[in-house]
Amino acid sequence: MNRAVRYALITTCLVWISSAPARAQGPGPAPAAAQRTAKAAAPIDITGYWVSVITEDWRHRMATPRKGDYESVPLNAEARRAANAWDPAQVEAAGEQCKAYGAPAIMRMPGRLNIAWENDSVLKIDFDAGTQTRRFYFGSSRPAASEASWQGVSAAQWEIPVSPNARGPAAVGGAAGPPGGAMKAITTNLRPGFLRKNGVPYSKDAVITEWFDLVKAPDGDQWLIVKTVVDDPQYLTTPFITSTHFKKQAGATGWNPTPCEAR
Amino acid sequence: MTVSLILPLAMLAGVPAFAQIDLQGTWGPRYHEDQEDRIPGTYMGDYVGMPITDEGRLRGEAWDSSRLTMQEQQCRVHVSPYIYRGPLQLRIWEERDPESQRLIAIKQWIQNYQQLRTIWMDGRPHPSPNAAHTWMGFSTGKVEGNALVVTTTHIKTGWIRRNGLVQSDRATMTEYFIRHGDHLTHVRILYDVYVSEPLMHTTDFVLDPYYRGNWIYPCEYVEEIADRPKGQVPHFLPGQNPFLKETAEKLGLPPEVVRGGADTVYPEYRLKAKGAAVPARPASGTPKFDIVRIPGPGPNDVEVLPVQGDVYMIAGGGGNIAVQAGKQGVVLVDSKTPAISDKVLAALSKLTNAKTRYIINTSADPDHAGGNKSLREAGVTITGANVTRDIADAAAGAAIVSHENVMNRMVAAKVASPNWPTSTFNKGPKELFFNGEPIEVIHIPNAHTDGDSIVHFRRSDVIATGDIYVTDGYPVIDVAKGGNIQGIVDGINRVLDMIIPDYGTEGGTMVIPGHGRISDEADVVEYRDMVTIVRDRVQDMIKKGMTLDQAKAAKPTRDYDPVYGPGDAFVEAVYRSLSGGNR
Repeated sequence: MNRAVRYALITTCLVWISSAPARAQGPGPAPAAAQRTAKAAAPIDITGYWVSVITEDWRHRMATPRKGDYESVPLNAEARRAANAWDPAQVEAAGEQCKAYGAPAIMRMPGRLNIAWENDSVLKIDFDAGTQTRRFYFGSSRPAASEASWQGVSAAQWEIPVSPNARGPAAVGGAAGPPGGAMKAITTNLRPGFLRKNGVPYSKDAVITEWFDLVKAPDGDQWLIVKTVVDDPQYLTTPFITSTHFKKQAGATGWNPTPCEAR
Repeated sequence: MTVSLILPLAMLAGVPAFAQIDLQGTWGPRYHEDQEDRIPGTYMGDYVGMPITDEGRLRGEAWDSSRLTMQEQQCRVHVSPYIYRGPLQLRIWEERDPESQRLIAIKQWIQNYQQLRTIWMDGRPHPSPNAAHTWMGFSTGKVEGNALVVTTTHIKTGWIRRNGLVQSDRATMTEYFIRHGDHLTHVRILYDVYVSEPLMHTTDFVLDPYYRGNWIYPCEYVEEIADRPKGQVPHFLPGQNPFLKETAEKLGLPPEVVRGGADTVYPEYRLKAKGAAVPARPASGTPKFDIVRIPGPGPNDVEVLPVQGDVYMIAGGGGNIAVQAGKQGVVLVDSKTPAISDKVLAALSKLTNAKTRYIINTSADPDHAGGNKSLREAGVTITGANVTRDIADAAAGAAIVSHENVMNRMVAAKVASPNWPTSTFNKGPKELFFNGEPIEVIHIPNAHTDGDSIVHFRRSDVIATGDIYVTDGYPVIDVAKGGNIQGIVDGINRVLDMIIPDYGTEGGTMVIPGHGRISDEADVVEYRDMVTIVRDRVQDMIKKGMTLDQAKAAKPTRDYDPVYGPGDAFVEAVYRSLSGGNR
């Protein structure tokens, strides 16, 4: 699939998500779903405090990589030129210290999340790293067009696994399927920023697809797994795919809001 | 808080599952995380992001990559907890019962090291702890929500990072395979004695139905270093690894940071590195979890496990017994203790109707030869010449074969004469041809004791080692009875010379240890490396003039203690061996 077609498909998907009530992966009636809010229909509960456990990409996340270290990011030549021109002093002078704290990158920041329902249709994630907030809008709750921002606009839906006896995917509020599910979100309207702190760029046209999954470990720990797919027709040769894990905390222990830093 | 993970077998087995999710297809990995670590491999001593214990770090620091030039190391497979992190291509399919279409297993073909992994979905239990371990381990699965949840035990020792950091053969693993459209996330949580917190990694795959690349991975070892002294195991003595400082410089990180540990994987560590005061978090301690343990036979019970060909292993209640059974009768290697003889006989009667003809003792130890009398009396000796058919009427029972030093030790210990060998040899090997199989009894001089033998069943391709090789502890070296560390090292190397492994140093010749689980070459190599490294460390201490107490205090076995237990007695035996005992 060429990149133009892929991008068109993502855009189409986004329109579909934002114009329809929350639904599962495929077609299927959801008469009961229409009566239920996204909050009530949540197949998993991802609210609470979570801490990132940095066992992957440690050098690129816990430390600020050297200029020109864009290892493993599928950048094109234009992106490499931009990354090679990174100057944190310029970033600071421009007051853009939060360039590496936008939606495409913030899940990779070492820190803690506080996830809570802002209302029945909007799930909010606060980040202590950079004191950022992301909002995930279910159904028609998405706000009217606004200026591009670090966190963009995230349209969310629940994905629920297929019931073994159902002819189609179980829908939100429909016939009971196996427990579990995931939150899928597509984020657009982004202000250009950095995938990594050392100036690895993403553009205003970047589209972020994410899935939020929960797993419960045998020792009782709960883990939030966030898969992030960054599609950027300007700077990436292929989608940039990462998965980031967070461990559930009993409370706000360690919550330490810190401002964005450019270096 | 320590949370117990000691689960009954039934829980491990899971329940029959429906395929709510479909993982089938060909999947290609994406290396957008940890690319440096996963593809070229990172530097020696780079442990960033790894919640390792101090012991895990010590093992890593002793690692010398020259070890990979050893023939028996060249084709070692990446263990299942690591293999998804390296370069690979992945194919997943389902195996269903043709009659009922119930899901039996989910199969995976992993291109790297051409591994076929089976995840049993039919509710079967995990095998005994005395069963063999493999690179992929034994896996059972169930579907929870939108994830395939897999529990794996029986994994061999292997990498958790390709620069010397390892997981032990005690490790267990929980995985979650989660599919979203064309995306697959592999979540792996590893529980092991070398990590103080569960080791969590997530790995990304994308559906790749058009992959037409290579699905096989031939590996044949070669002689890379022709003049390497036999038995030499490359490693760094404590404090002598020259690459640790260099690695920190190359990574541009303070040396303390690259040492890893649980505290380094939390966000506070970033602030700490910048000089901020943050609450202390327990660092690099012992694991804060228990590891799933599958119950084996109790101290007064036995179990029979098939090994290969005509050979079985009876575990539990003393040293392992090797059993070769056929039309001509039964050969036993060792006889456990007298207290367990009835259960051994009961187990044998379920295996075969044939009588025991030979008992071969690997040493005079009571846990290996204590049951001689009872098992012998239940057996029979067949002879000819002027005494035809059997001489059971004369109550001769089975023949007992051993090195003559076993007899000498029994006499000296005033063991009752019915337990004594009836046929001894001095140099050997003692050879038998029984049940259509050549059997060699080979003396290993001055190892565990001065009377040790190993037994090679040549057609079944199984070696019973006695106590020169065990999997559940350090070797017991009875210096007073002629034991010596060098004999242990030489004996294990002799066993390795006899082993011809199948692909990836797994399978092929199988090994029944004196105690513990069924093994193959990779397991014996792991043990050989350990005893050689500890020997070298103690030798170095002796050269430096350290006393026995000082050597013990320096804890030269510390990195292996989480696997093999307290090492003081072993260190003492090694020290006494090297400072003038028995060689």
